[in-house]
Amino acid sequence: MELTGSYLFEADQDTVWKLLMDPDAIAKAIPGVKELIPVEGEELTWRAAAKVGFAALSGHYAGVIKMSEVEAPTQYRLTVNGEGQQSVIGGTALIKLTFNPEKNETLVHWDAHANISGKIASLGQRLIGAGANVMSKQFFHELAKQLPTR
Amino acid sequence: MAAAEKIIGSRIKRREDPRLITGEAKYLEDIQLPGLLHAAILRSPHAHAKIKSIDTSKAAKHPGVVAVYAGKDFADVNPMPCAWQAGKVKNNVNTPRVLEIDRVTFTGAGIAVVVAEDRYTAQDALELIHVDYEVLPAVVDAEKATKSGAPQLHENAPNNIAVEWTCGTQDATDRALKEADVVVKQRMINQRLIPTPMETRGCIAQYQAATEEWTVWMTSQAPHVMRLLMTAFVFGVPETKMRVISPQVGGGFGAKIFLYPEYCLMAALSRKIGRPVKWMETRSENYIATTHGRDHITEIEVGAKRDGTITALKVNTYANLGGVLSTIAPGIPTTLYGRMLSGTYRIPNIFCHVYGVYTNTGMVDAYRGAGRPEATYVIERAVDLVAHELGLDPVAVRRKNFIPPEAFPYDPVILNGLKYDSGQYEKALDLALKMLGYENFRKEQAEARKQGRYLGVGFSSYVEICGVAPSAWIGLPGEGWGAGLWESANVRVHLTGKVVVTTGSQSHGQGHETSVAQVVAGELGISVDDVIVQHSDTLGTPFGYGTYGSRSTAVGTVAVYNSLQKIKEKAKLLGAHMLEAAPEDVVYEDGKVFVKGSPDQSKTIQEIAGAAALAYSLPAGMEPFLDNTSYYDPPNCTFPFGTHICVVEVDKESGEVKIKRYIAIDDVGKVINPMIVEGQVHGGIVQGVAQALWEGAVYDDNGQLLTGSLMDYAIPKADFFPTFETDRTETPTPVNPLGVKGAGETGTIASTPAVVNAVVDALAPFGVKHMDMPVTPPKIWRVLQGNGG
Repeated sequence: MELTGSYLFEADQDTVWKLLMDPDAIAKAIPGVKELIPVEGEELTWRAAAKVGFAALSGHYAGVIKMSEVEAPTQYRLTVNGEGQQSVIGGTALIKLTFNPEKNETLVHWDAHANISGKIASLGQRLIGAGANVMSKQFFHELAKQLPTR
Repeated sequence: MAAAEKIIGSRIKRREDPRLITGEAKYLEDIQLPGLLHAAILRSPHAHAKIKSIDTSKAAKHPGVVAVYAGKDFADVNPMPCAWQAGKVKNNVNTPRVLEIDRVTFTGAGIAVVVAEDRYTAQDALELIHVDYEVLPAVVDAEKATKSGAPQLHENAPNNIAVEWTCGTQDATDRALKEADVVVKQRMINQRLIPTPMETRGCIAQYQAATEEWTVWMTSQAPHVMRLLMTAFVFGVPETKMRVISPQVGGGFGAKIFLYPEYCLMAALSRKIGRPVKWMETRSENYIATTHGRDHITEIEVGAKRDGTITALKVNTYANLGGVLSTIAPGIPTTLYGRMLSGTYRIPNIFCHVYGVYTNTGMVDAYRGAGRPEATYVIERAVDLVAHELGLDPVAVRRKNFIPPEAFPYDPVILNGLKYDSGQYEKALDLALKMLGYENFRKEQAEARKQGRYLGVGFSSYVEICGVAPSAWIGLPGEGWGAGLWESANVRVHLTGKVVVTTGSQSHGQGHETSVAQVVAGELGISVDDVIVQHSDTLGTPFGYGTYGSRSTAVGTVAVYNSLQKIKEKAKLLGAHMLEAAPEDVVYEDGKVFVKGSPDQSKTIQEIAGAAALAYSLPAGMEPFLDNTSYYDPPNCTFPFGTHICVVEVDKESGEVKIKRYIAIDDVGKVINPMIVEGQVHGGIVQGVAQALWEGAVYDDNGQLLTGSLMDYAIPKADFFPTFETDRTETPTPVNPLGVKGAGETGTIASTPAVVNAVVDALAPFGVKHMDMPVTPPKIWRVLQGNGG
């Protein structure tokens, strides 16, 4: 499944980049996640547990989050592999930042590809697109809240 | 016998309905036992994977969990048997285990089980099991699965071919096609369907260690066969060690015939743990783990003369059988499909080639109609394609090719020795056309087209095969069925004259308790209220093969009828003795025995039953009691037929199809209860129309079922349909003394092509000659926009 979207941060590119690379900030922003625990011996890789409360997707999930293809401060790839609800969820997103100096805004755009197997694939397929959009918006909204106050 | 004729054939209300509609009937879910545990099954989220390891330790420690097992814990339990393998060819058999051990070939295969004090705990603990998989590439399309480079599912099945089977004559068919005036070719998809009974599957097993005996309750259409397969094949114990009970079963449509891993798993769990264990399928499990139906990719070639005479039919089919074989999977797209491809027509040359193929999808097996809907779809579409090609009326092409009444019994050759029993195909067609007002309709259609409205009419003149039996024909020497297919019945007239019938058939919505009682009441000349029909418990009923293939009346009830004749003979002997008359002078009429011509001096069946039970004075050598058991193996199958007509209007703007009229003329032989037959026909039409217009299982390329819930899988609703216009002709079968053929599947078999033919007819002005099912508004809309026809 292909998912694309974007979110506009009212901040400069470096600030947004730092925020997007900060595991604590990300942990706070993912609905239901408490913390990201670094995986020993692997760079930019964290283990996470999440509790999701969205329609057919509701339940506990556990997984690994990895950042790669990092080109500060313009793009990186986020790869997530998780399981829960008798389902396996795999996804990768290429995240790109574009700065608009006139308005001092940074646009974050993502192109994501998700593979879903098991119960959720057959139960919630039609809801997943909508669910992912809602959750992405929520995620970036929560991240934006953590921007340093100007 | 006046009274008999009155009861047999009358529209009495179903006797089972009061308990069903008041909620008093006990389904599997209603059964509670002391100490009952609940099982939940962990199912593979991958369509094709190796299981590298399973860690159950966390789940085992979860409060309320009694035990957690994986496949290796049941390595001593045999895989499920495949009881119907295609006849006279090699079958590359792979069947499910109670839990898969190291490999899964479809999403939904069971790999671990949690047993807990309650169902919620069991379900929660599933989340705590960790499985390490090596995910393998998947293939879901049966044709692609046979091509080189496709992922291979099983070592013993090169190119994923489970079975390759043919019927008919290839050379003669090829020659006839070469010599034909016209040859029409068409590729057609008969899409996968998911049976959706109101009640999902379930099972409770209770093992008694002291006697090493099981009692197993399950939602089965064939409890005796389940007992045989579980004991003799899966557990390797005598069948006397198990009692199988089907409680009230809430619909099956074929999907509840089979021996599923979960039933054997419950039996194995109960034996391991020493407490009764219950599993009740959720609706999402039902979609991924219960068998599906149909799923054919077919290429056809039809040869015809200019006048519409069909001279040859060549069919090549890829039948998707899923990741492993269900109990009778190979028999459906072979015997029950290929052998019925002549339809209601004289077709001198037929050749059918079938690949039964493994793919990374759920198991496919019999679903209402089982093979005959697929065959009827092919032949009824083929006739319309010929008519279209030659510019002939589809009704005229049907008439031209019909097997005439005087040709019966008719041998279509591809039936491998059986003959169509009786038929008056044109009579049923004529009645349907009269109800439609065909000539007027064509005028109305032409008029509507001028106004930009698109009406269409579709015909389906079908024949199907019911009362599936002759053991010698269907069995191992013939069509490969791994058993016999006779049926049994016991009739007992108790001291008070009340009658108890036990039968090996199983009723899960068909109304056997009513129709069988009608036959008993009619034959014995007693009230229907004095008859009780018992079924569905291996303790107390004689062995029977169960209910499917519309065989309970044409085979099972004939066994009842035969016992009734023997009971009447004995009653006559005893009645004569009581009347002090010679046995050859008495007759049995309207429930009484009397000397021919002197009905005033008579003994009632109740008096005779009492005398037989008390046995104070019996004729020399006569045993007490009126009690008889019959085993009936018919000499032939029965072949119901008819014509269905569908009238549709297609909305030009939206592509929506509105069913304006639906006419069904069915000939199911003699009818015991017209109301029950109509109910069966109505339900069947709904399921068949749904395939044509709405239903369809969809897997993505990774083998994930995308239509896995009632939100995503289209089930028709009552307001999708007009009032059905049904009638019937009655051509008794000479095969059995009741003259009955079978009525459980005609609606599903006939309706699908009638609807597609109607939609194609409506879209004829747009150059459409074929569309694949389901014919949904988006597909039609694209055709109307001029792309995708």
